[in-house]
Amino acid sequence: MLSYFGNSLLILNVFITLLILYFSSSFLTSNVKFDYKIVKRLILSQLSITVVSFFTLLFAFIITDLSIISVYSYSHESKPIFYKIAGTWGNHEGSLMLWVLILVVFSFLFYLFNNQNLRFRNLTLFFQNILILGFSIFLLVNSNPFEMIQPTPVEGLGLNPILQDPALAIHPPLLYLGFVGSSIYFSAAMASLISGYRGKNFASSIKSWIIFSWAFQTLGIIVGSIWAYYELGWGGFWFWDPVENASLMPWFAMAALAHSVIILERRESLYSWVIILCLLTFILSVTGTFLVRSGILNSVHTFASDSDRGIYILSFLCIMILSSFLIFLKKFPISDKPIENSNKGIFILTNNWFMVFYLITVLIGTIYPIFTEVFFETKISVGPPYYNLLIIPVLIPFLVLMAIGPETTWNKNSFLKFKKLIAVIISAVFINLFLYLVLKSFSVLTNLIVISSLFLIIYTLIDLLDYFKKGSSYKLPRTTAHLGFGLLILFIGLNHNLSEEYDFNLKVGEIKILDNYEIDFNNLELQDEINYKSLVGKFNIKTLNTNKIRSLNPEIRIYSKPETITYEASIKTNLLHDYFLTMSNIGDGDIYNIKFQRKPLMMWIWISAFLISLGGILRLFNKT
Amino acid sequence: MKNLFFTNIILLIFFSSLDANEVKINENEIFKNLRCLVCQGQSVAESNSDFAQTLKLVVRDKINEGNSQKEIYEFLAEKYGAWILYDPIFDGKNSILWLSPYIFLILGGLLLFFFILRRN
Repeated sequence: MLSYFGNSLLILNVFITLLILYFSSSFLTSNVKFDYKIVKRLILSQLSITVVSFFTLLFAFIITDLSIISVYSYSHESKPIFYKIAGTWGNHEGSLMLWVLILVVFSFLFYLFNNQNLRFRNLTLFFQNILILGFSIFLLVNSNPFEMIQPTPVEGLGLNPILQDPALAIHPPLLYLGFVGSSIYFSAAMASLISGYRGKNFASSIKSWIIFSWAFQTLGIIVGSIWAYYELGWGGFWFWDPVENASLMPWFAMAALAHSVIILERRESLYSWVIILCLLTFILSVTGTFLVRSGILNSVHTFASDSDRGIYILSFLCIMILSSFLIFLKKFPISDKPIENSNKGIFILTNNWFMVFYLITVLIGTIYPIFTEVFFETKISVGPPYYNLLIIPVLIPFLVLMAIGPETTWNKNSFLKFKKLIAVIISAVFINLFLYLVLKSFSVLTNLIVISSLFLIIYTLIDLLDYFKKGSSYKLPRTTAHLGFGLLILFIGLNHNLSEEYDFNLKVGEIKILDNYEIDFNNLELQDEINYKSLVGKFNIKTLNTNKIRSLNPEIRIYSKPETITYEASIKTNLLHDYFLTMSNIGDGDIYNIKFQRKPLMMWIWISAFLISLGGILRLFNKT
Repeated sequence: MKNLFFTNIILLIFFSSLDANEVKINENEIFKNLRCLVCQGQSVAESNSDFAQTLKLVVRDKINEGNSQKEIYEFLAEKYGAWILYDPIFDGKNSILWLSPYIFLILGGLLLFFFILRRN
């Protein structure tokens, strides 16, 4: 029943999208001087139909309608209601439904709020609806969330237990607000090229969308990292895994765009560069989807891969890249305004230079293994050592420039305040020396990273204090985000250098002494929960120099729907450290593999990352 | 003030060079750099599989035999293929991988430099 209803809605939606395309395409050639009234009605019906079809799917998941394949495959009656809801987008079909929903909602909002230029507005609608059409057909033909199953099964297969998690329930919607948010400025850029609606007004119309998508992309990445940290069970939070890289690449493009759009808005120069970034960001977002969903790359996050889907997304991607590239070449603005020449402009361009470098490094690292496989027939892996080695040294000048950049003005003849500069450098160096001598000695590179991030932190804090005194809130968003970035790098650097990790095997009842810790594997308990059985290890960890004992209880869980074994880390968090313990069985014997870690400053890593995103959100409320 | 600053830098370099002399192989670092071949995108350090447990034993044996980190990587790459190393070897085939990001960085820098020159 719900299946028929949902399918009819999806088909209806494709027709309405075609109608919107038909009406808005008239703006491609002639200069139509009036808005078609019907367009507004069509958009409204498109919005209502998509919302209703999304909620139909949600409803099917809530009542566990097993006649629908996606419900059968990813849900189960016994699941808590929260995970039934989250299960809606915890699979390929449902998450694509969410993707289309956000596309439609954003398209509607953009149409609603941009009424300055008729042609620009309708052309943006046109391109946005090409995207909607592409993804709707994909949804209908290849990834139908409402597909029926005959005969109706008795019970569902259940959601992968590692996806049954609050962080992972909100991770896809957050990330999609970022990914799909970039579709708006992709369409707007195409519309701008064709309609000639350029410069300041164009910049203003996309600026909020850029900041919005960037802030939510950041949030999505953070929540995903937090989930990986406690759920995947090895104490890391960033693995330079292809799927993670897929979310990071658009993030760099968005961050570059968030900076250069300021130049376009203030000085009306750099138009073509902004357009390139607009097009690139959404292309990278779809590329990310392709990499994740096609299964072309080996990743820990590949939960739904299928080569047919890969081919569809790849073809769609090629059409997108080719057509946007052709339109760009054809409409390339020959008489762009002279290059930005203020100091601030130069610094913003420098930001873009670095952002593009990070982007290219991650891109090459991610796709290079595909090349070697095709051309040399050798499989290689590109992991953390590659990215760390290439990116970390470049971070040093980047952090310093990030501190002094905002200090410059649009005036060509502004100078830096050298006294402040020297004072900040010296304090950064001294704090670093203190950390170095008190905590632990670390490498030259780490010293430089710590110094430069401290430089950024102190510099930004001075700025922040200044604005609080003056009561002007204009620079609050920027300083918050920059401060967050400086803190993030500092804490990651310290965490990386001061983490203690031990990997060993132990039997129940045994005690192991490692440097400063005494690890007592006290007991093993079997517990029966509603939807899984659990083997709980009772550990007491004594820190020898303080005699403090912490009890940690890692678990091995055996889920029944679907049958899966997961390893739950036990984490004790305080302001300074996380104590992290996992255990796993070795074969069927009574020896367990134990991984114990003491990771400093974990909580502060999350807080600083949230500050970055908060900066973006503050900017949305703080328009000037 | 300036002197103090430079003394500090020199001190730092001195301290860090002391560390470099201390030859100690960190087994966790090696585990992290090896791909668990039977897993989906996990390293040996991260994985709970039997393969990872076995590989850890192999690495520990090799360390005890007095092999260097590099020798262990070479041994494993020969046995299982380069796919097992997360830190790709720098050779002819991989030179594009290692060098091209910096080539782009330099090109970008030159571009920016000419922009600045042209403004005057």
